[in-house]
Amino acid sequence: MEWLLSLTPDFILEFALEFWGWLPMWLQVLAENMLYIVMIMVPLMLCVAYVTYAERKIIGYMQVRLGPNRVGPKGWLQPIADAVKLMFKEVIIPTNSNKFLFLFAPILTLGPALAAWAVIPFFDGVQLSNLNAGLLYILALTSMGVYGVIIAGWSSNSKYAILGALRSAAQVVAYEIAMGFALVGVLMAAGSLNLGDIIARQAGGFTSWFWLPLFPLLAVYFISGVAETNRAPFDVAEGESEIVAGFHVDYSGMAFAVFFLAEYANIILIAALTSLMFFGGWMSPFGSMADHALLGDGTHWFILKTMFFIYMFLWFRATFPRYRYDQIMRLGWKVFIPVTIVWIFVEAVMVVMQWGPWAVETVAAVGGA
Amino acid sequence: MLENYIPVLIFICVGLFVGVAMIALGGFILAPSKPDEVKNSPYECGFSAFEDARLKFDVRFYLVAILFIIFDLEIAFLFPWAIVLEDVGLFGILAMGIFLGILVIGFIYEWKKGALEWE
Amino acid sequence: MTFFEVVFYAFSTLMVVAALGVVSARNPVHSVLFLVLTFFAGSAIWLLLEAEFLAITLVLVYVGAVMVLFLFVVMMLDINITRMREGLMRYAPFGIAIAILLIVQMIMVVGPENFGLQAFAAPELHGADYSNTKELGRVLYTDYVYAFELASVILLVAIVAAITLTMRRRPNTRHQIPGEQMKVMKQDRLRIVNMKSETIDSEDK
Repeated sequence: MEWLLSLTPDFILEFALEFWGWLPMWLQVLAENMLYIVMIMVPLMLCVAYVTYAERKIIGYMQVRLGPNRVGPKGWLQPIADAVKLMFKEVIIPTNSNKFLFLFAPILTLGPALAAWAVIPFFDGVQLSNLNAGLLYILALTSMGVYGVIIAGWSSNSKYAILGALRSAAQVVAYEIAMGFALVGVLMAAGSLNLGDIIARQAGGFTSWFWLPLFPLLAVYFISGVAETNRAPFDVAEGESEIVAGFHVDYSGMAFAVFFLAEYANIILIAALTSLMFFGGWMSPFGSMADHALLGDGTHWFILKTMFFIYMFLWFRATFPRYRYDQIMRLGWKVFIPVTIVWIFVEAVMVVMQWGPWAVETVAAVGGA
Repeated sequence: MLENYIPVLIFICVGLFVGVAMIALGGFILAPSKPDEVKNSPYECGFSAFEDARLKFDVRFYLVAILFIIFDLEIAFLFPWAIVLEDVGLFGILAMGIFLGILVIGFIYEWKKGALEWE
Repeated sequence: MTFFEVVFYAFSTLMVVAALGVVSARNPVHSVLFLVLTFFAGSAIWLLLEAEFLAITLVLVYVGAVMVLFLFVVMMLDINITRMREGLMRYAPFGIAIAILLIVQMIMVVGPENFGLQAFAAPELHGADYSNTKELGRVLYTDYVYAFELASVILLVAIVAAITLTMRRRPNTRHQIPGEQMKVMKQDRLRIVNMKSETIDSEDK
């Protein structure tokens, strides 16, 4: 940026500054925020495109195949080709469907999946909006995801779509509770709903991140995240071999692409949240010992951790056979909810009695850092 | 506090706008539209659909939805408790212990009644 | 007019329009979605009143849970809309009369003198580091602990009521018990019978 500024002639800079000052206040705010939003959104969209590529490539290698390798060098242009193809495909609107709702459902799925990124901290203080109720905001937005699925299933007026929507709604609802309880554990450990504070509480390297004291909650949260995004092995909502593609069986072209985008944006979101809440976000695993630029704290750690959890999603899909529906419901209601309630109590006693990781000196040392 | 929500509001609008723009651009400007009767019929593995797909379904789904509301409310009560735990201390734990204890009774009741079974 | 007043009027208008949509939409699913929009606008107005936690919880609980149930019910109940609309005009005068009566009553009981800035002071604007949730938690679990425990009893009653109302064991429904199916051993299903081999021509005769 600096060299760019030094290259530009002074009168242009002056003009730009004057023009900026001349703009009304609300337009300044809007322009500034739009710039930041574009800075978040464009890499996110690229990530989504390349997660689809990574998925096909990684699962390909796991199954001793090559995966896509024709479009561009080693298939690197495959997601671009897919996007262009979907753009030029007809959006078929079934005769018996409710047209407005049919087109509205994918939008309703994508909107919250993107808007949740407004509060994700990429580095100390680098986030669009530092909400004090950040985690609550994310939970509220993820609870919106179920609408897209139900409305898509109902409005297409196809049997498979309705079955998929019903399955998905009951499943998402069950795992959202487990997820909420797991988040309560994180809040108790951090003492704040603010995502920046949650990371700050985990300062001090690999062993002081929350994954260690909150390990059961980490497992519950991540598995619920997989179920919440309707991914394998919990993908009965799509279940290709049972109900062909579930709730989006009648979608084609760009309307389908938006669903697809939302699904992968949600995967990235869950992965990012797992790394923020249990693995210290942008904190370096070496704590304060490392002062080298690459080993110290930085956004690259956040990206690496997020990539690892995205990889876990893909790994799960290649490894596990699909769960049966009654097993899914049993896991959500009868295993995860009791586990989280018990752990919340254990943790509450530990926090108040200041045992273990919440001993006074550790908290003071970490809180001061 | 309020000024923090301005970017959030803008982001929600942008998020919805992106979806609208993609469907409008891809679905109606770039893509062809040649509907015909067979293409627009709902997908049913090659059969033509012979009745409305919107079916009445088991009351069990409503039960799951109602239980979900109740547990969601519990979570809403747990959130503020979790972040002030260090301030309210042992008294807070006792208060929440009674609260959750009563609800665990309800949870055990629904478990024993078989409301969580899926047939 | 300050910026936040503009926002307030925008969301209030949205809320009223959406609420009108709830009662006037022909399709019940549209009604539900209008109600969701109403809750959103309401949540934004609560935010303007500095009730951060309540505003987001409104979306979390009402939009994320209660409206999902509404949507379930409305979508799957097979409501015959044309038949329901038949009586509309016949009952309209009666409905309007009751509505006017209610409005008059509400104005008489609540009255405009109970509203406005002289009755409720505007909430003070807090800084960016103010945590509404923390303040709420500090009083909810100490000063208002009795009401808090009562809430759990109400929720317990709701659980019991929901189960007793909706749990129906229909004896004639057929269902699988996959656990039992998985447990079946070869010995339970398969019987190996020793028998002499038969030739084809013996069958022909």
